[in-house]
Amino acid sequence: MDGACLAIKSYVGHALYLAQQGVSLLFAPQVISISHKEYTCPSLLGLPDLLRQYVPPSTEIFAPVLDARKGERALALCYRRLGKTFAPGSIVRQAWNQAHKAQLAWEQSLWLPNDNSQELKVLLIGPRYLTDDPFLSGNIIDRLEGLGMRVYTAAQVRGGRMSPQSRTAGKRLFWSNARQSVGALEHFVDQVNGVVNLAPFGCGAESFVVALVERRARNQGLPSLTVNLDEHTSTLGMMTRLEAFCDLLERKESG
Amino acid sequence: MKVTFPHMGYAYIAIEALLSGLGHEPITPPPGTRNTLELGTRYSPEEACLPFKTILGNMLEGIELGADGVLMLGGWGPCRLGYYGEIQRIILLDLGKQVEFVTLEVPEGGLPKALGLARRILGPTDVKELWLGCRLAWAKMNAIDELENLALKVRPREKDHGATSCLLAREFQRLRGAATIKDIRAIHQETGQGLLDLVDRRKPPTGMRIGVLGEIYTVVEPFVNLRLEERLGYLGVEVVRTISLPKWVEEHIFQNAFGFYTRRELLRSAAGYLSGFIGGHGLESIARSVDLAQGSVDGIIHIFPLACMPEVVAQGILPQISQDKDVPILSLVVDEHAGEAGFQTRLEAFVDLLQRRVRVCQ
Repeated sequence: MDGACLAIKSYVGHALYLAQQGVSLLFAPQVISISHKEYTCPSLLGLPDLLRQYVPPSTEIFAPVLDARKGERALALCYRRLGKTFAPGSIVRQAWNQAHKAQLAWEQSLWLPNDNSQELKVLLIGPRYLTDDPFLSGNIIDRLEGLGMRVYTAAQVRGGRMSPQSRTAGKRLFWSNARQSVGALEHFVDQVNGVVNLAPFGCGAESFVVALVERRARNQGLPSLTVNLDEHTSTLGMMTRLEAFCDLLERKESG
Repeated sequence: MKVTFPHMGYAYIAIEALLSGLGHEPITPPPGTRNTLELGTRYSPEEACLPFKTILGNMLEGIELGADGVLMLGGWGPCRLGYYGEIQRIILLDLGKQVEFVTLEVPEGGLPKALGLARRILGPTDVKELWLGCRLAWAKMNAIDELENLALKVRPREKDHGATSCLLAREFQRLRGAATIKDIRAIHQETGQGLLDLVDRRKPPTGMRIGVLGEIYTVVEPFVNLRLEERLGYLGVEVVRTISLPKWVEEHIFQNAFGFYTRRELLRSAAGYLSGFIGGHGLESIARSVDLAQGSVDGIIHIFPLACMPEVVAQGILPQISQDKDVPILSLVVDEHAGEAGFQTRLEAFVDLLQRRVRVCQ
């Protein structure tokens, strides 16, 4: 598949590895939506069907539908329905409550308290599967921190504070990742010194996010760097660009 | 208001009639050229897909001709088309173009927003004119669709190379000026007869049929698909269309707006390959390939713009259909760097392969 993005390629790679290990049932949910009135992306919508072309028939693909387009409650129902294929209702409800609580606690632990440190601050945005994955992102968070930057991400924005319709975009963004990127920029725009945007090559939603983010940053006088990632990205080339970007930020700050 | 709009095949003839009915002056941008693409590419985000770039080019050329309004289609995902309008509005704004940008979509915010949109679309007109405009637009769109379908059958057997396209282009200009339903019917009939007269009865029908499917804009707009249908016709191939504009408008604009549109039939066809809607025309591409493979086509051409998310998924699944149903499928990707010669070579090779296959089978 030559047109697929980095995420899809690594996903298929993982699945093939698991299939080689002799896995008989592969959990590959069809994630239609993770948030009200939003989609993940067309590639994820068709992912289980795509996987069937690559995984040998000995591995069965278990692809429950996760769909939150009609709200959180609908999503919870999806999970419970999924649980009921394995266990009776009472156990499922208990497991769901536990999982929900654990997820909330983890998300809250990422929320950022106000800090007034003197370090230069960089906002890192992009799809979560890139920013949160050290391998796919070329360990970008550690590298930026190694260069003396304090890195903010979209995960650190308190859930309710992320405005769905920010000043950056006049129309509501209907991809969750895109909305989070743009929302995080809006949230941190007065606090950070620069923005780094990670975008997988060939991602449709990202091509528009890049345009929105660069425009907003330009209007705000905020330096921004867009890093396109694909399977040919070299860590050295990226390192050079990050160093140059950080030098620029430092020079700008010191006047 | 002088309103410009993007091209999509011969849709401009119907859109002109509709806009006149709405009380606006339609400003049709010149047909796509190198200049359109260069303009569009210069101001678009780098990785935006080809339709985005040509559409932006159309808008800029339309504005140069004096338009002060832009009409665009919208939507709410997951395909990128839904967000085209917003990004294009911002780009035009940053370029300092003073235009009223209207995006046709079901607005969020219920009836008040819908009425607001309707008020922006409606110009100085009355009910009678509006009704006539709508009827003319619909009749013209249907006439064009039927004539084009007929031309697909005539072109492989035409007496003089290129005569079919010449006749169509000439007659469509007459259709463009037609002001009554009666005129449209007359032109439709005459052109239909004219097309049939172009057939060389001595040439036996080749019997080679290729289905074309994929992303709708690349399938319908000849500038973007490098006149794919014509090229195939000259190679002696009868093209089978799976996408028709009137049907698309009926399903995706009217039925969808009121929530009547179901994909049950498509899902039934695609069963086993794709389990649901993936945005754009991804599901259609899969379902129609299965339908075509069971019908009487010798091969299928799947065309889409580079980095089109739904079609990339479809492209990944199509080889399986090709294998299961024993039908060759060629996936063609177009972007602003698509070269005519390379395109032609691939088409010729594909048709050669199909011809050899037919001979071996016999």
